[in-house]
This record gives sequence, C-alpha cells and structure tokens, in this order.
Amino acid sequence: MQPLVQMNHITKTFPGVKALSDITFDIRPGEVHVLLGENGAGKSTLMKILSGAYQPDGGGSILIEGTEYPSLTPKLSGACGISIIYQELSVINELSIQENIFIGRMPTRKVAGIPVIDTEAMRKRTQELLDSIDLNRSPSTIVGDLSISEKQMVEIAKAVAFNAKVIVMDEPTSSLTDSEVARLFEIIGKLKAEGKGIVYISHKLREILKIGDRVTVLKDGAYVGTRDLKDVTMDDLVNMMVGRELKEKYQSKTDVHQAGKAILEVKGLTRKDGYVKDISFTLRAGEVLGFSGLIGAGRSETMCAIYGADPISAGEVWLHGERLKIRTPYDALNYGIGLVTENRRETGFFPNFSIRRNIGIAKQLKRTRWGGLLGLVDFKDEQATAEKQRKDIQIKCASLEQGITELSGGNQQKVILGKWMAAGVKVLIFDEPTKGIDVGTKAEIYKLMRSLADNGIGVILISSELPELLSVCDRFIVMNEGKISAEFGAAEATEEKLVKAATVDVSASGGK
Amino acid sequence: MAMAATAKKKRTFSDYWDSYSTVSILVLMVLIFGALQPKAFLGGTNLIKIVEQSAITILLACGEFFAILLAGIDLSVSSTMALTGVVTAKLMVLGIAPLVAVLIGAVGLGALIGALNGALINVTGLPPFIITLGTQAILRGLTMIVSNARAVSGVPVEFTAAVGGKMFGVVPTPIVIALLTAAVLIFFTMKTQAGRNLYAIGGNTQSAWFAGINVKAHTVLAFTISGLCAGLAGMVNISRLSAAEPNAGTGYETFAIAAVIIGGTSFFGGQGVIPKVVVGGLIIGVINNGLNMVGVSSFYQQIAMGALIIAAVTLDRFFGASSKLRK
Repeated sequence: MQPLVQMNHITKTFPGVKALSDITFDIRPGEVHVLLGENGAGKSTLMKILSGAYQPDGGGSILIEGTEYPSLTPKLSGACGISIIYQELSVINELSIQENIFIGRMPTRKVAGIPVIDTEAMRKRTQELLDSIDLNRSPSTIVGDLSISEKQMVEIAKAVAFNAKVIVMDEPTSSLTDSEVARLFEIIGKLKAEGKGIVYISHKLREILKIGDRVTVLKDGAYVGTRDLKDVTMDDLVNMMVGRELKEKYQSKTDVHQAGKAILEVKGLTRKDGYVKDISFTLRAGEVLGFSGLIGAGRSETMCAIYGADPISAGEVWLHGERLKIRTPYDALNYGIGLVTENRRETGFFPNFSIRRNIGIAKQLKRTRWGGLLGLVDFKDEQATAEKQRKDIQIKCASLEQGITELSGGNQQKVILGKWMAAGVKVLIFDEPTKGIDVGTKAEIYKLMRSLADNGIGVILISSELPELLSVCDRFIVMNEGKISAEFGAAEATEEKLVKAATVDVSASGGK
Repeated sequence: MAMAATAKKKRTFSDYWDSYSTVSILVLMVLIFGALQPKAFLGGTNLIKIVEQSAITILLACGEFFAILLAGIDLSVSSTMALTGVVTAKLMVLGIAPLVAVLIGAVGLGALIGALNGALINVTGLPPFIITLGTQAILRGLTMIVSNARAVSGVPVEFTAAVGGKMFGVVPTPIVIALLTAAVLIFFTMKTQAGRNLYAIGGNTQSAWFAGINVKAHTVLAFTISGLCAGLAGMVNISRLSAAEPNAGTGYETFAIAAVIIGGTSFFGGQGVIPKVVVGGLIIGVINNGLNMVGVSSFYQQIAMGALIIAAVTLDRFFGASSKLRK
C-alpha cells in the first residue's frame, strides 16, 4: 500500500540547535499514526515541515502520494491535502460556522454578471459536513458561541471540506472532557474508514493505546523507532521516550537530606484562578529542587504565585522561618526571591535597554522606596555591578553598552541571571532556563545552580527535559493538573517514574 | 544577531539619523524659510516670537512624551490646558493671590486630571487612547460650564507681567518656564529610578512587572506629569492673552504629539529623550510661523504638519533606534 506521505531523512537545524536529525516518518491511508515524545523532542518541528511552515535542511525528501518534493510551502502543503489542527485552534470566533469553513474560498454565483457569495450553497454544503461529523448545530451559528470541542469539530469539518487526505491533530484532547474525547474518537474512526491518514500528537499514553494504530517516537530531535501499537505496552512506550542521560552529574556531593535546613516553605498555596491548588513543599539548604510535569501542569503558575506575579486565594510562604507577605514581585524582590521566567523575551529582559541596565535593574529597584518610585539611579554602582557580573558569569559581549537584543540566547539568559545575582537573592527559581540555549551555556547554567545551592541559596528548577532535571536536581516534585502528584529523592528518581507520575496517574482519575 | 557585535562598527545613515535627525530637521526648516523670507522670518523680533509661541507646544509635548514613552497617548492635554487656564483665571479674578491660584488651578488641577487619567486606565484596563479621548471631551465640557462658555478676563497685571513678560527685556518668560520644566524632566528621566522604570515599562511591560516594577503606580505617575505640564501650558496661555479662553488649545494635542514624534520618540514605547522633544516643539513653532510668513494659508499649514509627522515617523521606522529592536 502506498503511503500518503513519506518523509525521508528529514533534518532541521536552527542557529545553534539541531532540532531534527535524520527523521523518517510515513502516514498510510486509513491509519492513526501517533507521534510521541517529550516536550522539545521535535514533534512540532516535524509537523511544521510537513505543513510547509519550516523548510528542512537539504538531503531529505518528502513524498506525497509518490510525488517527491524537496520541501513544501504552506500553499503547496494545503493543495496536497495536508491539514493541521493545532492545539490553539485557529477558528475565527466572530464568524459563523459556514464562514469559518469556507473562508477564503467561498462559493459564488453571478447576479447580473457580478459574482456574489452563494450563501445558500455554502449553508447546504456546511450542513452536509456537520451531519457527517454529527455536530448538531446550525451552519449560521457564530463560532464564538461553541464549546472548545465543537470548535475542534468545525476545524475537522473544514479539513474534510477541502478533501484533506492527511489530518494532523496536535494534542487534540488537552482541553476536552471525557465524553468529548469519546466523541472525537468516533469521528477519528469515521475518518479512518474513509481512508484518511491521521497524525495524532499526544502525551496521554492511555489514550494513545486506545486510538492509535502505529506509533513513532522521537527523542531530542532523533528518531527512536516506529512500532505497531498492538505489539507494545505502556511500559514499552515510556521506555522508548526516555533512556537518555546527561553524562555529567551536577548533584550535590553531600547528602543534603540529612543536613538541609528549610529555606523556603510553601504551605497550602492555592491560586485565585484555581489553576493550582493546595501546593505544599519545602526547599532545603544545599539542594536543587526539581519540578517535573507536563506543560500546563501548573509548575510555572505555582512559581508565579509564590513570586507575587499572580494573586493567591490561600496559602503561606515562609523564608528562613519568617512568614512573608508577598503581594507583588517587588515584595518578592525585597525578601530576596528571584524568578528567572520561562520566556525571557516576553517576561525577562528589556529590549530597549543596554546590557548594563538590564543587569542593574533589580538591584537598583531594591535600593529605592515605594516600589521604585522614589530614589536615584546609582550609575557608579550600576556600572560596577554589571562589570562584576560580566566577569563572574562570563557574559560574552563587545561592551556593556550593547543592546541586549544583539546577544545570543545563551548570553541573554546570562544577563538575566546576572540581574538576580546582583540583587542578592536568597531563593532563585529557574523556569526552563535552558530553552533555546546552546549546550556549552547549558552546562555553565547547571554549574551556577550547583554553586548557588552549595552556598546556601535555595534553588528551584522547573524543566520539561527529564535528563536535565535528573542530572541537576537532588529532589523532585512532580506536578499533574495543578497538584503535586509525587515526590522522589535523587536515589529513587528515574525518568520512568517521573513520566508516569506526570502522565499516567491522573488520567486514571478521569482527566479534568 | 551576533553580527552587530562582531562586525566592525561603521557609521551608517541609520546612526547619523539616530543622533542628528531632529536637529537637522530644525536647521533645514530654518534654512528653507530663511531663504524664502530672509527679512521677515530671520528678524530678531520674529525669532523671539517663534520661541515664545513654541513655549506652549514644548510644555504640552514634554508631558505628552511620558504617555508615549509608555506606548500610550494622552489626547486630553489640550482640554486640560483649557480647563486649568479657566480655573486659574477664575481664582485670580475671585481675588486669590496669583501664586496660590497657579498652585491650585494650574499645578494642582493639572496633576489631578493626569492622575485621574492614569487611574482610569489602570482600573478599566482600556487603552490610553480611549480613556483620554473620553476625558478630552469631558474636560472641554467642564471648561465650558466653569466659564459659561465665555472668556474669563480680568487677570491681574502682576500675573501677566510675571508669567507672560520678558526677562531682561528680551527673553520671553514662557520659554524660560518651558525650558526649566524640560530641565527638571531631563533630570527625572535620566537620573531617577522612577524615570528609568518608565523606560523599562515602555520597553516591555511584562518584564517590568516581573522585575518588580509597580506598573500601575508608574502609569499614574506618567499621566500625572502629562497633566501637570498641560496645567503649566494653561497658565502660560492665559498670561499671554490676559484672559482665559474656553476654546483655548483646541487641536493642540496634535502639535504636542507631532513634537514628540518628530523628536524621535518611539511610538512603540521605551525610546526617546526630552531634549529632542524640545527641539521637536521648536520645529512645530518654526513651521507654523514660517508658513505664515511665506503666506501659506492655514489650511495648507495643516497639510504640511500632517505630512511632516508621517515622513518623520516613516524615516524613524526604517532608520531610528526602534528599527533595530524588531529583529
């Protein structure tokens, strides 16, 4: 049987990072092919190459129904019948279902020689499509009034309307209820029977075993293997996803569990928006505490709440035996808590500031009163501070007066670390600090975390990269759907256990 | 990204534009009008008049600068100027000492209006454009009510002499007030942490919040400065006319915004300096005066002003400091 799509030896390099190397992937008619891998394994990159959003490096090929293409464009990919339904749905809420489906290619009829939109034909065709996927809504319903599950159905209808042969679904069940999932699976079954190829991206292992025919596992941009799902167990899948370790270990040489005095204690923390509930943990001296879990499990949200960036409805935060009253990040800064945010471009640095100013801002703010409203900038101190950090953490730049946007990602991150070092933190929280950063700088950041912990500063690391967590952290807390689901010491933690605690246990309790 | 760091620094047109664009436009304008009308335009009395007329634009622009620095805008400065003028004049006519009247009516009321603008923006979460478009109309209405839609005359002579006169017989006091205000604001923007914080918020509001900056308090601060400057402009305006016109300043927000933008301030926030805004204010003064001298009707003046704003921002988009950020 000729596959619908055959991707051979696909490699994709971004500046400084090899996102995919030599990946082979095919999609057969009438199958659900699951694409599995941790965050950052390269699933999205591969699908973006299939959709034409990214161009692969040379050397590979993409065959669509036997025709070879060196690379695709979004237009070509669409014309070849490839349709992608992203996790963040791309429907237009202000338009009706029929307009959403036919947007850009509405049927027309001529009135006195002038083409006008043929609303009637559009409505009829939409009705047929909605019937075929059992969506019981009028074609003129405004999409904004639909549930997320129904919006997803509209996207599927749209794919079907234009004869998609391959439909890629990126984490389609991440915000669906159990009954909605069952309904989605019914429709997937129908599409399969019509001979369409489905690419199904998901982390939820139970679900995958239920709906998938074959599975391809990616890891760190490399191809691990393709299996028939009827031949594998959940443990096999977990084993395929994990199994790589960072060579170097950065954990504490001493047994911190014996010695460690509590630095930071969080008791019953609950966010006002309810995103995380009843979080309690203790961060001890000398350890790097790792937070593991899937994206959306509530790790960043927990840290933002501790840091005062988002409001809480209950809970206490204690630092060195003192109860803190943190309402804003300014309070946290003054107590000596720092947060290296996940997205440095959006919440980390100031693109209009020089390196000097970006390093100096936290320390300068701390010196002033009234949330930074009252006080003068100490230019001498700022210069000296920036010089010191540049030396200490080896920020590679031509001059401290350079704009931060001129630096590489790794050096930008170092500037942000320098900002917190200079401010004199007692606790520093790292949220995905090595995202998009080269290997060399990664190692430097790990070493820095270790030396902070050895010097009595509390260090928390949130990471979606398990090998990173396992090589850096002394203790692990796993979060799942807004709650702490497990805790492991360094000796007992394995990738398998972390993955299981993050994925399996809670989906057993019935999803949301 | 690393290119800029490694490549040998060669000064490009973009660098020159960054440093000299505003001053060059001013010199160019003066040269053009000077060539067309050497006697009338370049005469000492006219140049002093230009400077005097520019004082109000400079004051308004210095305040407007802070709203734009936060990637916002303040459309209410013109109405603030009218209301503070009318209230200050009323207070003086009621027999209150000029200094007290100025402190209450111009400084106090101006700052209060600005603070309210800032508070409204914080509470509603609406863009400054919407809020200040609303307050612009509200304040103009209040001006009409307070003044009965008539000019408030009878402003004491000691006030007009002190604020609207000339120092040492040559230097118009209004421009001295404007430049002193600018000097204080230069100090504020360059040396204080609050000034630094405003640039930070303009560059990246989210990062500012996560760095510990109280974004809401600084928003109130920025609009308070804008209102305060508009109050000072209101004070200067009544001193020049010896009366408070309820229609004063209509459309002046355009001049203020134009001065800020021509002064190289980024409309996207976080970029700009007060001295260039002052030069921007002078450019507006030169264009208005020069076109008059050359005999161009006021309708064409509006066209020229509009074209200049678009041209200046277009050039800035391609060569200015902010063009380097969007990579």
